[in-house]
Amino acid sequence: MPEKKDLQKDNEDIRIGVYTCYCGGNISDIVDCEKVRELTETLPNVVVSRTDMSMCSDAGQAMIEEDIRKHGVNRVVIGACAPSLHEQTFRGAVARAGLNPFLYYHVGIREQDSWVHHGNHEAATEKAIVLMNSGLAKARLLKPLKPIKLTAQKHALVIGGGVAGLRSAWDIANQDIKVTLVEKSPFLGGRMAQLETVFPTNKPARDSLHELIEKVIDHPSITIHTQAEVKSMSGYIGDFNIKIEQISRGVSSELADQEAVIDSCPVEVSDEFNYGLKTRKAIYQAYPGNFPSTLAIDWENCTLCGKCEKVNSSGIDLKKKSEIIDVNVGAVVVATGFKPYEPRQGEYGYGDFKEVITLPQMIRLLALNGKDKALMFKGRTVRNIGLIHCVGSRHVPGIHEPQEDGKVNDYCSRVCCTATLHMTNDIRQHYPDVNMYDVYEDIRTYGRNHEEYYKQASENLVRFVRFQAAEGPQVFASENGNDQPLVIKTKDYLTAGLDIEIPVDLVVLSVGFMPNPIEELTKILKINPGNDRFLQEVHPKLRPVETAVSGIILAGTAQGPMNIQESVTAASAAASKVSVLLGQGQVELEPFVADVDHDKCNGSGECVQVCPYEDAISLEEVTINGKVCKRAVVIPANCVGCGSCVSACPNRAIDIQGWTLGQYESMVDAIAEGMLALEVSA
Amino acid sequence: MATNKIKVDALVVGGGISGMQTALDLADQGYQVALVEKEASIGGKMIALSKVFPTLDCCSCITTPKMSAVAHQENITLLTYCEVDHIKQNGKGFIVGATNKPRYVDMDLCTGCRQCEYVCPVDLKNPFDNNLGAIRAIRVPFSTAVPQKVVLDIDNCILCGKCQTACAVDAIDFTQQPEEIMIETDSILLATGFEVTPKDAKKEYGNGKLLNVIDGLDMERLLAPTGPYGHVLRPSDGKEPDSIAYVQCAGSRDETLGVEYCSRVCCMYAIKQAMLLSGALPLADITIYYMDIRAFGKGYEQFYQNAKAMGIQFIKGKVAKIKEDENQNPVFRVEMVDEGGSVVEHTHDLAVLSVGMLPSFDPTPIFNVPNDTDGFIMTPDQNFSASLTMIPGIFAAGAATGPMDIVDSIMTAGSAASAASAYIKSQQNGKEESSSKIADLQKESQHA
Ligand SMILES: Cc1cc2nc3c(=O)[nH]c(=O)nc-3n(C[C@H](O)[C@H](O)[C@H](O)COP(=O)(O)OP(=O)(O)OC[C@H]3O[C@@H](n4cnc5c(N)ncnc54)[C@H](O)[C@@H]3O)c2cc1C
Ligand SMILES: Cc1cc2nc3c(=O)[nH]c(=O)nc-3n(C[C@H](O)[C@H](O)[C@H](O)COP(=O)(O)OP(=O)(O)OC[C@H]3O[C@@H](n4cnc5c(N)ncnc54)[C@H](O)[C@@H]3O)c2cc1C
Ligand code: SF4
Ligand code: SF4
Repeated sequence: MPEKKDLQKDNEDIRIGVYTCYCGGNISDIVDCEKVRELTETLPNVVVSRTDMSMCSDAGQAMIEEDIRKHGVNRVVIGACAPSLHEQTFRGAVARAGLNPFLYYHVGIREQDSWVHHGNHEAATEKAIVLMNSGLAKARLLKPLKPIKLTAQKHALVIGGGVAGLRSAWDIANQDIKVTLVEKSPFLGGRMAQLETVFPTNKPARDSLHELIEKVIDHPSITIHTQAEVKSMSGYIGDFNIKIEQISRGVSSELADQEAVIDSCPVEVSDEFNYGLKTRKAIYQAYPGNFPSTLAIDWENCTLCGKCEKVNSSGIDLKKKSEIIDVNVGAVVVATGFKPYEPRQGEYGYGDFKEVITLPQMIRLLALNGKDKALMFKGRTVRNIGLIHCVGSRHVPGIHEPQEDGKVNDYCSRVCCTATLHMTNDIRQHYPDVNMYDVYEDIRTYGRNHEEYYKQASENLVRFVRFQAAEGPQVFASENGNDQPLVIKTKDYLTAGLDIEIPVDLVVLSVGFMPNPIEELTKILKINPGNDRFLQEVHPKLRPVETAVSGIILAGTAQGPMNIQESVTAASAAASKVSVLLGQGQVELEPFVADVDHDKCNGSGECVQVCPYEDAISLEEVTINGKVCKRAVVIPANCVGCGSCVSACPNRAIDIQGWTLGQYESMVDAIAEGMLALEVSA
Repeated sequence: MATNKIKVDALVVGGGISGMQTALDLADQGYQVALVEKEASIGGKMIALSKVFPTLDCCSCITTPKMSAVAHQENITLLTYCEVDHIKQNGKGFIVGATNKPRYVDMDLCTGCRQCEYVCPVDLKNPFDNNLGAIRAIRVPFSTAVPQKVVLDIDNCILCGKCQTACAVDAIDFTQQPEEIMIETDSILLATGFEVTPKDAKKEYGNGKLLNVIDGLDMERLLAPTGPYGHVLRPSDGKEPDSIAYVQCAGSRDETLGVEYCSRVCCMYAIKQAMLLSGALPLADITIYYMDIRAFGKGYEQFYQNAKAMGIQFIKGKVAKIKEDENQNPVFRVEMVDEGGSVVEHTHDLAVLSVGMLPSFDPTPIFNVPNDTDGFIMTPDQNFSASLTMIPGIFAAGAATGPMDIVDSIMTAGSAASAASAYIKSQQNGKEESSSKIADLQKESQHA
């Protein structure tokens, strides 16, 4: 291979260390790592080639550091897991040894090789060798790079004013970082405001929520916008430019006679706070005592009839106004929460029978009913309640119907079991004569003090009935003559799979969690949901609150089902992350951005036209050899390194640093050569 | 006894995943942190696991880089083989006395070359392998230990002196004495983790005497690539088991043991191990006897359904008793809940107890940080600040506050760091405001 020799001659001072990781068997069970080591050892420029059980361990890293210090290794190639996992780890090790961290190249031989070629050890080993070879080819051409250092705005945006958003706002503000909080609805508090007492504290939800809200409102570094939504975002971690659209409330905070104003409104719409069990007006409050206490106009349903204005002209402005607010923040916390699963028409009789309601509705029903009288629903006294678990959760393809988007809700919603049992205890306390039947598959009272609710429910004589997924319960109208309107039919596996029928007055469906509809927002932020449609973290253990876009952080149930404690904990963890990112007032970006060779550039400007990003590349006047001419100039902070300009440039004047055309070509050549060698030997 | 003094913003007690993450989250924000770990290496229970649910990542891939990051973070002072002896209130902060236990090795000199370990003639049961494999009296605790320094088990050392001769840098010192350290700190974070239910806790399951009844941690080591045998073998005769059965809730949700809570991880680790076993022993039958399968976390239910689809058998049944037959096969007496409570006997080759989580460290003899009725550290404000203990300035994270898995431990670590940071800031800026907010919260919850 004559070219290789030449290369070696050109780069006499290139000394490569090659490291192949066993990954505790993940790689070495399939790929013959020792063979990879042996073969790479003989290649040009390679000074050492080593293997280790776990290269990312401290000992593994120390070995690499020592090779750099003692054996003069000045290029490092590591074959291991995907770079997304540990590239940062190894860059750290390389830098500690005094070498520029970008003189290291990472080859993925786990996700791209051993994990996908299980059955074929030989081919997997060959592939590893080819991949390592191309990594080596690139390594020979690596140049030292410097990360882009930028000042970071000590200011964060929190999207969503539920308990998670409120808590992260408060925690971030306590780290001396300014916070802007936007809430889409007119009122703060999210779903927690709709709960009464909550597990595991048994305290009234709104009491503790209001305390938090008051602290957030009082905090000098937090600005809150309700009826506001994010409309656009540009920029990067440390310096995002956000446009927020704020809709006017239509009501002044001075408005006095709130009740008379509400009464005057002729519009009646379903009251979402009470999940449709009641109606409300188009000028309204979510509930008495909500924050902010000012009424709001529901612009979607207001007919602009002007009746409220007649009651109080000074406090009401029926002209809907929208204002755009610009904020410049260093990080964004997404805390947009969840919505309860809405059962399909006919699912367990929902929509067909008025006596079938959901758990959140039942919680509101209990609150509206009051505690000192018999439990009534639609004019009937309720004596027998059937509770059905896992509605809209734990669906199994083939057994349960997919949702509208074709996906099956295959996850557990984690909160509904304990919430259901907590409610049965509440019912028992206030309505001692009501019979309750709990129809479940598994009871998941996993958390600290949760099991207590299960125990209490049994002591409270809640009758448990266990079904299996394939033979879930069904709800029917009772035969004539039965004084209970509905009957639940199911097999009960606590009694040897007997078919049983439970006559009831009310069926409560323990519905699961769905993410709030935030497709537009996810597009603006360029973040992705996972398979379960909830927002996806980078890695559940390594980077549990971060998204793939650096600087955009997750908090609370936008990420998946959680109870209050878990939402709040996640919110605080998100705040910690924001503080780590922005606390020092500086962020570092990877240097993989476009770089223009001004000797080759002739200022033709194709690059500027194709660049999809704002202010990333432009033609500027520069002086070259005393002559003023136009040349393309890159603003590194705005460039994402997509490479569009590279392909558009007619003069090959642009390269992405760290991923130059020359490097690509050498890698492709190495792969082609490797494949050819394999064919010849076969 | 020589006394060293250090002054930090935060003291983290416990170097498992929770303690490491808490320390990193604080140090990355610029705080000075001391991390005290009683064992000779950090890593906690997690570093001994095989692969971890729900992603089936190899455990070292997640843990070892964190351990390394802790070792290299300039703001962290790492104190391994060190225990906290006393805590005194010092204004709003604390003065903590700790003892560096003698390793009988000079940490500055030892290079971790292990020459001493190779020549040591004493073979002992390896605690890192849950006593399944063997280890020398002088050793690096395990291959990926941080720090990579040897430690000498003086109780089992025969003082033959071979290690001293083998050591090229003269690091071994049989006369080393305990060393006292005074740590002045603004805040304390307890991340002292958990222990598993002892194997002999339940008489019904053979009292820890049946050889082929092992526990979940034993199985983790058998499955780990760095494990003692490199294979899954049963202890009595070293045979590959053809039929393996799991007993769920072995030590949890059990009033007779005074453990009424659910341990939260054992359903998931049993499912995980069952999946790994069907890879390692493709022909083996695997059965899980359970009461409720609690696959509640993100991606966990899907993991459970995958396991079912792989042919792992889930039987809703209570294991009342385990005996052994003449071939030392465990014989299960099971009340089959799904079959109306009929009682049957099933024989398997190997039984695995899905043991639960118990608190590992009781701080009360040292300082009045009260425990809850479950024995874990009391965190009175369960919903709003689950990392606050009853003492302002002392926070808790991870399994020290009750059973939890790694994902949840990491989340609580981040939240404890956030709470501690606010507390430290309020002290250092003399800004009473947010500290009094925390104090309010704590006072309030004490009344509740
Ligand atoms: C029936 C039921 C009973 C429960 N009982 C309990 C219990 O007893 N104990 C317990 O611990 N937990 C309980 N929970 C769980 C608890 O409700 C949640 O953990 C908690 O509300 C989650 O808070 P969050 O802030 O993540 O989300 P949310 O409360 O949903 O808040 C999200 C907020 O974001 C806003 N938002 C959404 N999209 C946007 C956007 N694009 N821009 C701006 N703002 C937006 C929403 O308007 C909302 O205000 C229960 C849940 C249910 C369904
Ligand atoms: C068999 C088994 C399998 C598991 N599998 C999984 C899995 O696949 N996925 C998953 O997510 N979770 C799994 N888990 C759970 C996981 O082990 C825990 O979530 C995790 O280890 C908790 O970490 P921690 O740091 O809180 O506690 P620990 O890991 O217990 O760490 C506590 C640390 O504190 C130290 N310490 C204690 N007291 C003191 C003291 N007084 N002074 C100084 N130091 C002290 C200890 O030595 C230890 O290093 C499993 C658990 C078991 C038992
Ligand atoms: S928490 Fe309970 S009711 Fe909810 S989905 Fe999970 S198992 Fe079903
Ligand atoms: S997690 Fe599963 S095995 Fe463990 S105690 Fe809870 S229910 Fe039992």
